Amino acid sequence: MPNVLTKTLWDSRRGLAGFALGTALVGAMYASFYPQIADGAMEQAVEGFSPALREALNMEDIASAAGYLGSSVFGILVPLIAVIYGIATGTRAIAGDEEAGYLDLLLSHPVSRTRLVLHRLGALAIGSFTLAAVVLLAMLAVRTGARLDTITIAQFAAQCVALGLLATLFGTIAITVGAATGSRATALASSTVLGVLCYAADTVAPQIGADGARYLSPFHYYIGNQPLRNGFQWIDLGILLATIIVLGALAVVSFNRRDLAS
Amino acid sequence: MGYVIRLEKLSKTYGSRRGLVDLDLTVGEGEVFGYLGPNGAGKSTTIRLLLDLIRPTGGKAWLFDRNPSEHAVDLHRRIGYLAGDFVVNPRQRVSECLTFLAALRGGVPRQRIEDLAGRLDLDLSARIKTLSKGNRQKVGLVQAFMHRPDLLILDEPTSGLDPLVQQTFLDLVREARAAGQTVFMSSHIMTEVEAVADRVGIIREGRLVALEAVARLRDHAIHRFDITFAGPIDQSAFAALPGISDLTIDGPTAQFALAASPNDLIRVLARHEVASIRATEPDLEELFLAHYQPADGVQENSNA
Ligand SMILES: Nc1ncnc2c1ncn2[C@@H]1O[C@H](COP(=O)(O)OP(=O)(O)OP(=O)(O)O)[C@@H](O)[C@H]1O
Ligand SMILES: [Mg+2]
Repeated sequence: MPNVLTKTLWDSRRGLAGFALGTALVGAMYASFYPQIADGAMEQAVEGFSPALREALNMEDIASAAGYLGSSVFGILVPLIAVIYGIATGTRAIAGDEEAGYLDLLLSHPVSRTRLVLHRLGALAIGSFTLAAVVLLAMLAVRTGARLDTITIAQFAAQCVALGLLATLFGTIAITVGAATGSRATALASSTVLGVLCYAADTVAPQIGADGARYLSPFHYYIGNQPLRNGFQWIDLGILLATIIVLGALAVVSFNRRDLAS
Repeated sequence: MGYVIRLEKLSKTYGSRRGLVDLDLTVGEGEVFGYLGPNGAGKSTTIRLLLDLIRPTGGKAWLFDRNPSEHAVDLHRRIGYLAGDFVVNPRQRVSECLTFLAALRGGVPRQRIEDLAGRLDLDLSARIKTLSKGNRQKVGLVQAFMHRPDLLILDEPTSGLDPLVQQTFLDLVREARAAGQTVFMSSHIMTEVEAVADRVGIIREGRLVALEAVARLRDHAIHRFDITFAGPIDQSAFAALPGISDLTIDGPTAQFALAASPNDLIRVLARHEVASIRATEPDLEELFLAHYQPADGVQENSNA
């Protein structure tokens, strides 16, 4: 029997498949450049960078597999696409569908607003983790061929779980803003701006001496403690999850209080 | 008999914009209620308040004696709703959409959906984006009626439908009434509401300005006649008809208004050579507002 969650996933299947395959492809492609990097090309390229910049870009040891993947594939490309997926999905989940007029119909059925938000949040999380799982599979597929086997499967999995939570978190920000305002543009803009600020707080702020700022950034809890080297960072994952839960609760409360846009 | 809908001084302002002002209204079980008003009168506002899509800024509403907001989920099980601008995700097939909506209600027999679609001539296998406006509206009608709800709330249900389908829709409403369902439907057009409604209310600028039983309206109905004769006209016979007014005879043509049953008229006509006869539908809406006597609990449109 279909419900709001399964229907949401089903309706977004093409977008999700596109995002997941695209992310995995880009990730696998860049990961398979690793053998060239390991042979020294990249070391030379970043030699001129200042130590601060290298640290910011997680490039201290670019030649190791974990160092390379942590700075390129999992440092920028994959989280960028995953966060875009999360924001796009979260924006559509409440505010987008509300502006399109779809929510009138759903909420005139025996579906509470709380249930709608939770099911949409659930669909976002499942979508994000599907994307992360496809990325993980792609990494495991190229792992041996690209000489990445210094990273264990568990370490890859740890990084991909963090990726799933990161995408879910930014999607949840869009859901929460959408649930509170009903405005698609506001949900999209605020979550995007927040995403950029958070990324900057994790990478740029330490360089300009604002070291503490990174602890406010989800990106820090996503990769700061290097899951590719250190495996599951349970505290970091817990912080990401707790943030999602708090935002989800805010979304439920605010969505229950207001008028639906007509 | 219990009230299915009960509104007490129900009000809604959007910021500073007027939506609905102190609306008092009751709709009884099994009743078909027509809710008429011009654009922007507050019809959709009333309906969206009933469904807890928006919240009142004043007054109270009860559906089946329960608060629409506190018991939204339970109440929605018993309600079928068609929005004024019915939209669904257009990238799905009609049957997919209806099956999903039925599942939210715990399922509806496949046969019921097929029957309704058949009667409305709706293709269940079509993608919604390929449907015309009227055909999309049919999807909305099917989802509102399919689970045989105790209360149907229909916001301009016939908009976009061709006359044939409008008749099918009216049949569906009659069947719903026969099955004891209550119907609350909004419209711009008196004739369509009058055809099925037991009572009609007229709303203007957020206030209920008239409320009347359709049967009583019919008693007052005035028909206008325009008759051309092939022979001489007995003017005094016409002038003597009970309920006649505005009698003018111009050559072979007589024009008048008749506020009574046409029985006596037919007897008079039988003694004439009639070349052509034209009777216009009574304009109930006009009559309604002109002859309306405010009843209990109804606001006069005084400070509109
Ligand atoms: N979301 C909103 N924000 C501000 N004003 C609104 C909103 N919704 C409705 N209104 C105002 O409330 C009034 C009543 O609108 P409503 O949609 O209830 O009219 P209606 O009777 O359904 O009209 P129509 O026949 O055109 O559908 C209008 O003046 C409208 O401008
Ligand atoms: Mg309307």
